[in-house]
Amino acid sequence: MQIEVIPLKPVEPTVEHQYCQWLRNLYEETWNKILTAFDNSSIKIQTQALSSSMNILTCEGRYPLEQKGLLECYIPLNRLKLILMKILSNKQHNLHLIVKFEEYLLYDDMLFYVWKVLPSLTAKSNPNDIYIMNYLLFLEKLQVKCNNEARTLCTSGGMNTDFNFDETTVKRCLNKIWNCIILWEHTPATHKQLLIVLLEKVLPYLDKPLLLTDFLMDSLDVGGPVSLLALQGIFTMIQVYNLDYPNIFAKLYSMFEPEIFHTKFKPRLFYLADLFLSSTHLPENLVAAFAKRLARLALVAPSEDIIIICMFIGNLILRHPGLKCLLNHSIGGTTTNDPYIMEERDPLKSNAINSSLWEIHTLQNHALPNVATAATFINNPLPSIEWDMSKVLESTGDNIFDKELKRNCKMVALAFDKSNKFALSKCEKVFNYWNFY
Amino acid sequence: MVGSKKKPNKSSERSHKPHIKKKLNPFEVHINREKLKVLGKKNKNDRGLPGVSREKALKKRKHTLQQEFKLHNKANRFVDKRIGEGDVNMTEEDRFIARYAKLKSKHHKKSIFNLADEEVLTHKGQALSEIEKFEDTKSDDDESIEGDKIGNLDENFVDEAHFGGGVLKRTGIDGAKSHKDLIDQLIAESKKRKAEKQKLKEETLELTEKLDSEWKDLLPLVNKTKSTKATPELEKADEYDKTVKQLKFEARGTPSDRLKSEDEIAKEEREKLEQLEKETTADDLEDNFAYESDTEVTLSYNQEGEANLVLEAELNGKTILPKNDDKENEGSDEDDKESVSEEESEAEDDLSDLKGSESVSESENEYFSTNTEDKIKPEAIRDDLLKRKEIMDKAREELPYTYKFPASYEELQLLLQFESSERQFMILERLIKCNHPSLGSNNKENLNLLFAYLLQYINDIAEVKTIEDISKCFSTFSNLVPHIFNLAEMSPLNAHTLVLDVLKEKHQCYRKHKLAYPDIEVLLFLKLVSCVFPTSDFRHVVVTPAIVFIDQMLNKCKVRTRRDIAYGLFLTTLVLEYTTLAKRFLPSAINFLKGILHMAIPKAGIKLIKICPPFKTSSNALVLCNNCNESTISLTMNVSYLLNGEIDDEFKMRAIYLSSCLLKEFVTNFAELDSSYEIFSTIMEYINAIPMNNYPVEVKEKFKSLEEEINRIKSNRRLKYLTVAKPKPKALRLYEPRIEKVYDTKKRRIESREKAEQNKLLHKLKRERKGALREIRRDNAFISRLRINEQIQSDNVRKAKVRKLLSDASIQQSELNTLDRKKKRKK
Repeated sequence: MQIEVIPLKPVEPTVEHQYCQWLRNLYEETWNKILTAFDNSSIKIQTQALSSSMNILTCEGRYPLEQKGLLECYIPLNRLKLILMKILSNKQHNLHLIVKFEEYLLYDDMLFYVWKVLPSLTAKSNPNDIYIMNYLLFLEKLQVKCNNEARTLCTSGGMNTDFNFDETTVKRCLNKIWNCIILWEHTPATHKQLLIVLLEKVLPYLDKPLLLTDFLMDSLDVGGPVSLLALQGIFTMIQVYNLDYPNIFAKLYSMFEPEIFHTKFKPRLFYLADLFLSSTHLPENLVAAFAKRLARLALVAPSEDIIIICMFIGNLILRHPGLKCLLNHSIGGTTTNDPYIMEERDPLKSNAINSSLWEIHTLQNHALPNVATAATFINNPLPSIEWDMSKVLESTGDNIFDKELKRNCKMVALAFDKSNKFALSKCEKVFNYWNFY
Repeated sequence: MVGSKKKPNKSSERSHKPHIKKKLNPFEVHINREKLKVLGKKNKNDRGLPGVSREKALKKRKHTLQQEFKLHNKANRFVDKRIGEGDVNMTEEDRFIARYAKLKSKHHKKSIFNLADEEVLTHKGQALSEIEKFEDTKSDDDESIEGDKIGNLDENFVDEAHFGGGVLKRTGIDGAKSHKDLIDQLIAESKKRKAEKQKLKEETLELTEKLDSEWKDLLPLVNKTKSTKATPELEKADEYDKTVKQLKFEARGTPSDRLKSEDEIAKEEREKLEQLEKETTADDLEDNFAYESDTEVTLSYNQEGEANLVLEAELNGKTILPKNDDKENEGSDEDDKESVSEEESEAEDDLSDLKGSESVSESENEYFSTNTEDKIKPEAIRDDLLKRKEIMDKAREELPYTYKFPASYEELQLLLQFESSERQFMILERLIKCNHPSLGSNNKENLNLLFAYLLQYINDIAEVKTIEDISKCFSTFSNLVPHIFNLAEMSPLNAHTLVLDVLKEKHQCYRKHKLAYPDIEVLLFLKLVSCVFPTSDFRHVVVTPAIVFIDQMLNKCKVRTRRDIAYGLFLTTLVLEYTTLAKRFLPSAINFLKGILHMAIPKAGIKLIKICPPFKTSSNALVLCNNCNESTISLTMNVSYLLNGEIDDEFKMRAIYLSSCLLKEFVTNFAELDSSYEIFSTIMEYINAIPMNNYPVEVKEKFKSLEEEINRIKSNRRLKYLTVAKPKPKALRLYEPRIEKVYDTKKRRIESREKAEQNKLLHKLKRERKGALREIRRDNAFISRLRINEQIQSDNVRKAKVRKLLSDASIQQSELNTLDRKKKRKK
């Protein structure tokens, strides 16, 4: 291959040229100033800096300073890189900037070049957690596929059908990035975020997802939401990539702890558990252990979750008719102690199948009427169709409150014993235990 | 028309029916042949009487159509207006009678001008109407019976004088008398007899009258003897009868004042207050006090109906002694005042015997109706009474007795704001009494408004900063509650909606900051809910949202500061209050108490003791580090902890003590539940983990009893395996007759009821129309037959006439011919 060297002509110091030079210097100076504005403490200024810099970038893309090369679409990559470096800062959380930047990612060309630039910006060694957090949040926003509307930013028309969004290139970039990321040291927060990104964005595009198995297994042991997310990952692996994981149900079982109701991931857990236990070929004592454990948890759970649990247990019994012995003991009779062992880690050994769902029976005395009615399902014959949990999974106490208000019962009733001044009514407790003076 | 469905007259029907049956001519019966014979099917139309029915129709037409036809095209007609002529029911005789009666009545019609024409029936010249009075019966019959004998002459005399006696009797002596003598003797004799008779009659009359008068005098004597005869009989009646009689006539209940209706009571109370007000204002005139409601007082009247002004004058005229004593001496008629004075005097005399007078004073005291059933210690009662006495004294001294209804909330706030809680109680009481719904039409709305104001007021008093504020706030609240309850009783629906609205509003506020406990007023409102509404209902419009609200707070709110802990504990107490009666279970309350206990466990580095959020696993906030063994403070929780502040040892002890108390109550409440031990099992762990050394004895004992209670539950419980209720055994199959459905070939369209009805009607219409057309056709035939008959008849007449004319003419001709012939012959 021959490279024709064209000797550079010495630039003629004309006035026009000088002016051009001056303008360019000014431009560079402005650019630098805008970039420094990213470090400003005010969020407003930072956001403004981002939008300004992106505007400049767009303009430069449309009207390039240098002669346009062979590329049909030109984006000044060095400038883009600088902007991204500012966004992926290791000093401050830049969520607002990332959210703002999402607007630009709707353009195919911008998305593509960001993917292209990103591997070079990925830290090779262990970065600090702020950087990781920013990076993961940013990654969460990035799409792998091109947008539905093929729009481009840096072309004069705004619409350019010529631009070719090369998905394979993007995937390669993604894999490159992921290989770096997985090696970083993660704090619990970033670990969680990493799993979210993995599950929602990355997993389907990875070349060798089975390599993640170890990572997921390690995550599974962390506990809390992290393990829940890992569980979901493993479920996908099992489902799609034929992963065989021996003790998965014990893991799932151990995840049902009272704390779970107070995390954001509660609906996800129920959703997953529903999926895992949807198979009708599971051993009965295993499913019974789940049902029994859930019932125990219902004794401490918030009201809205008790309703979910009741439905869940109902569905389990519907799927596994063998569990009916939990509601309808074959012999009857009495016992002094619940045969179920709550502390046992292994669901198969928990002896749940010999127990009964006394907890649900207890919950029929719940103070909230709709919880109490939800618990009455054990008295009635089971329906032929499963309960639909999707509606109640996201419900909160507010929903229950609103529902009670909407009930709009016309019946009015006042307390039967009049409380007099010294409030000595029959079930008066506050005045017994509290001193007012 | 013939086809009209007029019912024939019953009598005629009756007379016809046997007639037809008798005359059923077998040749007249037409039998309709059946094509298909169906068993058990009733056929109405199997035989017909064509001749009979035709005849019937003809007859009917003759009566109707023919008559009409006859009068066709006639300008006028004859109408038979004789009485009963058209009436079929009347027989000939009836008609005659009716006509005759009519005639008579016409004849007897009284003319108002002809006065003399009055027929008066008489008997012996007297009008019958006069005689019929039957006043004097004796005169008449005496005369009629004896008149003949008395007035007339003797039989012998008549024989002799009139007919000359006989041949044999004519003797010389007799003959000597001349005829004239004889006549004179006769007349004298007759007169003498008459006079005698008259005299006798008068005598008897006199005697009768005398007897009558004497009899009247005697009458009381006769009666007396009768009554004296009856009395010994009564005395003779035995004891049993007497008691029965006594019981029978004993008064079953003495009439007393009827129970006063609520309205009346309200009115009385208002009047009473006005009266009191009047008096105080009268006093105040001396004291140079001025009250807002001064003007209102002038309008009021006292119970005797005297105008207020007069009373004032009276009071002013008197030299008024120091107030209270003076009034007591006057012995005012107000009940409550009396009771107060009683209380006062007794309180001054001897406090110990107040207990005895408790019932009296309480029954009289209308202001504070405490339930005496409650077990109140005597000391408490005494304190109560003393307190009340003080309240009454103060109130009487200073508070006006009547209040205008506040026009706005600000007015009410102004009225109450700076008063002590007890006085607020009084003010409200009076305000409500003065505006009782029975006293005015719009008072009900006013009180509804007052309810809303009070809720707002509670909201406002709960804005507190200092300890004094909060204790005042709570005592004010407890004073307001009875009034709120009363108001709620007056219009329950209003109370429901208002309280529910408040809850909604507070919940909306809470939603904005879900992790922090809201302000204190929420506690007050929740407490109010438990006071006013029934907490034991399975579902209640107000209570259920309130529980949801509490549940949410206990689940979500972070527990960090002293205020959070106290707030949560208050809520838990409320939960206990809400759930005690129905023994319902709320996990969040137990969780909260667990969390409090957990906070008291000192956490070592390695071993993690689990606890549910919102508590933190590592919290040590309530660990009691100093030894408080000897501490003697009261362990009751204080509302002042609801304010922000440091967690000190006292608070720690109190919080732990309170939670253990509450837990114990919960444990006893839930003892019956199946999973009671599972609910409380973690608490056992916590209790064992809390170092007990530092706590006072009372706390230790409480814990011990709590532990025992839980253990007792564990040992006592009997878990019944759940079994589904067995379905009822199926009844044996009975051999009932097998009923097969019969399918007829008729197609039955499935249609809506309206449509079916309409189709039915259309079908009926079609048939009716067909029938009507047929009848019209027959009518036409009948009429044409009539016409033809008429024509034929008239033709026949004409023919006859023509024939007659022709014959006449031919006769004439023949005569002419004969004449002609004769003439010819003559010629």
